Amino acid sequence: MGRVILQMKNICKDYVMGNETVHVLKNIDLTVEEGEYLAVLGPSGSGKSTLMNIIGCLDVPTSGDYWLNGEHIADMDEAALSHIRGNEIGFIFQSYYLLQKQTAAENVELPLIYANMSGRARRERVEEVMRLVGLTDKMDNYPNQLSGGQQQRVAIARAVSNHPSILLADEPTGALDQRTGAQVISLFKDLNDAGNTIIMITHDAHIAAHAKRIVKILDGRISEGELADA
Amino acid sequence: MHKFTMIRQSMKMALQNIVGNKMRSFLTMLGIVIGVASVIGLITIVQSATGSIMSEFESLGAGTISVTAQGTLTHHGLSEKDLEKLRNLDGVDAIAPSASLSTSAVYNNNVVKNIEVDGEDAVYFQHNQETLQSGRIFNTAEADGETNVAIVDTDFISNVLNGNGALGTEFILNGYHYKIIGIKAKDTNVSSFFTGSSTKGTVIVPYKNALKMSSLKNVTSISVYYTEDNITSSQLQKELKKALNDIFGTDEDNADQAYSVISMDSLMDTMSTIETMLSTMLGGIASIALVVGGIGIMNMMLVSVSERTKEIGLRKALGAEPARIQMQFLIESITLSLMGGFLGIILGIVIALVGTKLLNTTFQISYGAIALGAGFSAAVGIVFGWMPARRASRLNPIDALRSE
Repeated sequence: MGRVILQMKNICKDYVMGNETVHVLKNIDLTVEEGEYLAVLGPSGSGKSTLMNIIGCLDVPTSGDYWLNGEHIADMDEAALSHIRGNEIGFIFQSYYLLQKQTAAENVELPLIYANMSGRARRERVEEVMRLVGLTDKMDNYPNQLSGGQQQRVAIARAVSNHPSILLADEPTGALDQRTGAQVISLFKDLNDAGNTIIMITHDAHIAAHAKRIVKILDGRISEGELADA
Repeated sequence: MHKFTMIRQSMKMALQNIVGNKMRSFLTMLGIVIGVASVIGLITIVQSATGSIMSEFESLGAGTISVTAQGTLTHHGLSEKDLEKLRNLDGVDAIAPSASLSTSAVYNNNVVKNIEVDGEDAVYFQHNQETLQSGRIFNTAEADGETNVAIVDTDFISNVLNGNGALGTEFILNGYHYKIIGIKAKDTNVSSFFTGSSTKGTVIVPYKNALKMSSLKNVTSISVYYTEDNITSSQLQKELKKALNDIFGTDEDNADQAYSVISMDSLMDTMSTIETMLSTMLGGIASIALVVGGIGIMNMMLVSVSERTKEIGLRKALGAEPARIQMQFLIESITLSLMGGFLGIILGIVIALVGTKLLNTTFQISYGAIALGAGFSAAVGIVFGWMPARRASRLNPIDALRSE
């Protein structure tokens, strides 16, 4: 398909709890090409959240190598990690995580502010992405004036606003009903068709089935697979 | 350019957060408001009060030295001969003797006690800002001739004369008949501070008349007038003391028992020292309120940080580096305290206006106190906002996001 946007080799993550060391991720190898639509499917406790944190540069691996968009994510300080996150990752959370005291437009604008974009450029981009998710009429609404599905779409607009390398979605439909969930999944498809790389973390096989590739994670290890293998 | 937009952004976010939490922001600010208001209110009141006293001293006493000389057992007060000796001293422009007493006045069978009699010389009026509402002052002939003429004040007219303040009106003072030749306004607060508030009115008469009323021969109180270009206050004081020692036969050690020489300069210096002491003391006490206010801000910011861990985690996920988070919270606390300082300045000015009104002094805005208040509140915001801001910047985004 395209160039490699994400590569993990031998990634291990350990947590030390008192005297014990817990191996949460065990020798993970993962390669994702630009434009892929990937689901990471696993039950709770499988280490999928930890894997997501490492993909999203919220955490660093104990050992192994992680390349994101050509950059080697080594043991960097928090400031460097935030930069990378701001530029490369578009987060989408299960509970949307919108700032309640700011309008939809102001929420979408936030990563652009942190990327030091000028006011005018920010306004244009915000309008662009709000159009993309179909919510231009809700730009000045506060999150508590929006439905769950609309809030998630605002969150998606925020995630794509700074042209990230990958969209990282954590149970994106978890808080939504069937119908609204379907809307969000449909939006993901559109975004992927437009060229965005999407990695979706979920425990729900039906949701995972909408992706073009499924990676299964269990007990800290991953395996490529079809749904039938589950 | 980057740094500036970052600060501007943080300020915008700070204001959004403050406005979004109006009640909490207000309660947080309250300590600063009260602290700054008390600093400014108290210091302004002190400065206004002492300022008016000092400018009155200045107008009363420029080029004046006051001498009180009760004398010794053998030599009571200053006789006319003594006064001549003093008048002939080098540098003395003029000497105005004075005598005062409290007595009663009668008008139309109405007896009023507690009338302040101010016995002065004709020279007195040349050196004092006594402006009359109507009429005239007495001249040297009247003063020497002990003519029974009087200048009364408006209180006297209302309390004794039942409002009948026409020039030429006659009344009885201490048993003697007097005629009004002039009317002056009531004394300002400084002078009334010295004469007492129970006075029903003030009457100015020639000093020899006042001495007669008191059954005294010699004056015990004089004002010595000089020109600052010709001689300095301290030089003249030295001369006066030498001459008085000659008159009374006293020396340096027992001079205090016979007389005292007071110059307005030293009074003003004392006033100045008092003002500084009072201001510092009150300022210090009020600053305690500021510190308490600062602790309040720190407390609220800590609560705010712990309540907003998810928000902080999110911001970090979206690309905010720790320094950015720290600046955001620091600016929030500075904005809070500056707003509190601003409200405190306004409240402080109101307090000062009310206070000076009650004390009957003129309100003088104290820019020093305002600058102090503003500076303090900014400093408080920085000092007490630092720790919470640092804590916010150090939050682990994973933990922060997970704190569901």
